[in-house]
Amino acid sequence: MARLWPKSLLGQMLISVAIALLIAQSISAALLWRASENRREEAVLNAAAVQLIIGPRDQTSRESRRGANQRRTPELRGSNGPPRRGLRLEVTDEDPRLQGDRPDAALETRLREVLQNQNVVPANILVTQRLALSDPFIRERPRLVRRLDIRGDQSSRILVAAIQMSEGGDWQVARVPLQRARGNALRTIVLQTLFIFAILMGLHFLLLRRITRPLAMLTRRTELFGQGAAPTAPLAAEGPDDIRQLVDAHNAMESRIAALLDEKDIMLGAIGHDLKTPLAALRVRIESVDDAAERGKMAESIEDITRSLDDILTLARVGRTGAPPEKAQLAALVSSVVEEFEDMGKDVTVSSLDRIAYPVHLTWLKRAIRNLISNAVRYAGRAEVSLLAQDHVTIIRIEDSGPGIPADQIAGMLEPFTRGEASRNRDTGGAGLGLTLARAIAEQHGGKLILSNRAGGGLRAEIQLPPANV
Amino acid sequence: MTDTAPIRLLVVDDERSLREPLAEYLAREGFEVREAESAAAARTVLVGFAPDLVLLDIMMPGEDGLSLCRHLVETRDVPVILVTAKGESTDRIIGLEIGADDYVTKPFEPRELVARIRSVLRRAARTALPVETDIVYHFEGWHLDLLKRKLVDPEGASVSISTAEFRLLRAFLDHPRQVLDRDRLLDMVQGREAQLFDRAVDNQVSRLRRKIEADSRDPQLIQTVRGGGYRFAADVQRKAAG
Repeated sequence: MARLWPKSLLGQMLISVAIALLIAQSISAALLWRASENRREEAVLNAAAVQLIIGPRDQTSRESRRGANQRRTPELRGSNGPPRRGLRLEVTDEDPRLQGDRPDAALETRLREVLQNQNVVPANILVTQRLALSDPFIRERPRLVRRLDIRGDQSSRILVAAIQMSEGGDWQVARVPLQRARGNALRTIVLQTLFIFAILMGLHFLLLRRITRPLAMLTRRTELFGQGAAPTAPLAAEGPDDIRQLVDAHNAMESRIAALLDEKDIMLGAIGHDLKTPLAALRVRIESVDDAAERGKMAESIEDITRSLDDILTLARVGRTGAPPEKAQLAALVSSVVEEFEDMGKDVTVSSLDRIAYPVHLTWLKRAIRNLISNAVRYAGRAEVSLLAQDHVTIIRIEDSGPGIPADQIAGMLEPFTRGEASRNRDTGGAGLGLTLARAIAEQHGGKLILSNRAGGGLRAEIQLPPANV
Repeated sequence: MTDTAPIRLLVVDDERSLREPLAEYLAREGFEVREAESAAAARTVLVGFAPDLVLLDIMMPGEDGLSLCRHLVETRDVPVILVTAKGESTDRIIGLEIGADDYVTKPFEPRELVARIRSVLRRAARTALPVETDIVYHFEGWHLDLLKRKLVDPEGASVSISTAEFRLLRAFLDHPRQVLDRDRLLDMVQGREAQLFDRAVDNQVSRLRRKIEADSRDPQLIQTVRGGGYRFAADVQRKAAG
């Protein structure tokens, strides 16, 4: 059931309407059927009443002529006069009740009222329904059986209405065949339901499309914006007012966020400029320090500050590159970073390089790899780098055989301004943003950064990139 | 470079805190230095002073460095080194596009700046290395954009190469199907960065092969020539970018 239930607004609305309509139509069908049943009973009862009212007058004279005990030939009414529903009235002194008959009190009351209106007030009234074939009066007369066409249908029923004008007197018994409910009525209701359903579905579909289309556009837009796409023209508002208001509100929010981000970029640029210029001045000024060792330390401090500043500015700008990623050969990219370390005389080796072209932000991804390698070099003295594709996931792996990170601290290492305890070489440290930045850059590429301890000791850092959709 | 007359520099920067010590430092290094605190001031100074090279800050109030740089390149044949606080590579491209000769980011190492000044002047004097222009080399489905320093493989994916590899590849592309011995290559590849002077050519060639050869153990593009040297074994076309 949960599987069949649609997930979209359009689907759910249509299903709900369909179910509601089905229930409503079932109720109304039931009511209609009940009403027509009542009408049918009424008609049958009236037919019986007419016989009972007309019958005695018509027959009293004949009865007196022929004698009370004589049973009249059961003839169908002749062709003269209006056609009658039902069979000829039987007048008998036998009690017409059969064993198993269940008197219908409601119809008896109703019949009494009808007769009373015609000033016929019987002492006893009996109304019951029985199977036509169980009625002795009919069973004795094959012609009647044939006429009622009940041989093939064992379940044909008749309504039996009998009155006794005085206690102990003759019973006048009217019999009217009960017609079966027609299948027609049901078919009409079904067709009607389908017709209403089609119209409602059509209207709903059109109406809902007006709501869901702008909603889908809004969703797409929000996704893009969330992924850092630069907002273009505001989204066009369409559909009902409620949706228009939502789109307008979204546009307002989007432009406000864009303004805030622009502001941030401008501010970061200003901070960068305002700090780097005095740093540059300082860097020039220390050249006049005569003590070479002292000058070297000063230069290192300035480099340290510059690197931290760059890390902070970069971290704040990740995801705001504006430029779309460009397809690049990852092997060449990884090699070029490794070669930088080789040129600095560091022990960084490449174990395997798969040939993978992937859309990347070149300078950013290089920076992430550089950070990971320099961490490995700092803590373990050497690093081994590989590039591989596993189950469509592209992995850039940097491994070392250093002390690793205690398992409970791995998550914390990704937080800003955290350094490993084992840092013996603080002056190469930076702001402790290296891993944070690497993670942010991995996420900027839709991937993730995973740190784990190797079985044989040492740390394994992996940038895992999802399958590229290009 | 002549030893008789000092090299004349114009330093344009709105920040006095940087401009003054920089001017002092460069003067100590033997340059004749004039200062200007804005683009407008620089234009005034230029009326009576013909520098051999201009050091230009990009971010300045009023007319910015890029605009002055464009003016200098168009009206005078004077090399320009841009100085900026931003490290974005797009800035570098814009700067080089409008004709600046080099580019340093703050904070720079003063000695490196001096080395670059000399390198730019040497290049301007020699013009041995053609100035980087917007030319794109095409070979075997690859292309190399000189200005953007971008190498793109036949799949359309960019291939990262270092400055040294870029120069080496360019030397090969300028002399396709010719045997280039190590000395010749070294001479052509020597750039501004000091580290390149002692970098073995063979090492750079093997790095470059790793990036552009389908199988670097069986090189098809850069072939080793017996008797010492390399040859680029493909046809090269030079086209204007765009």
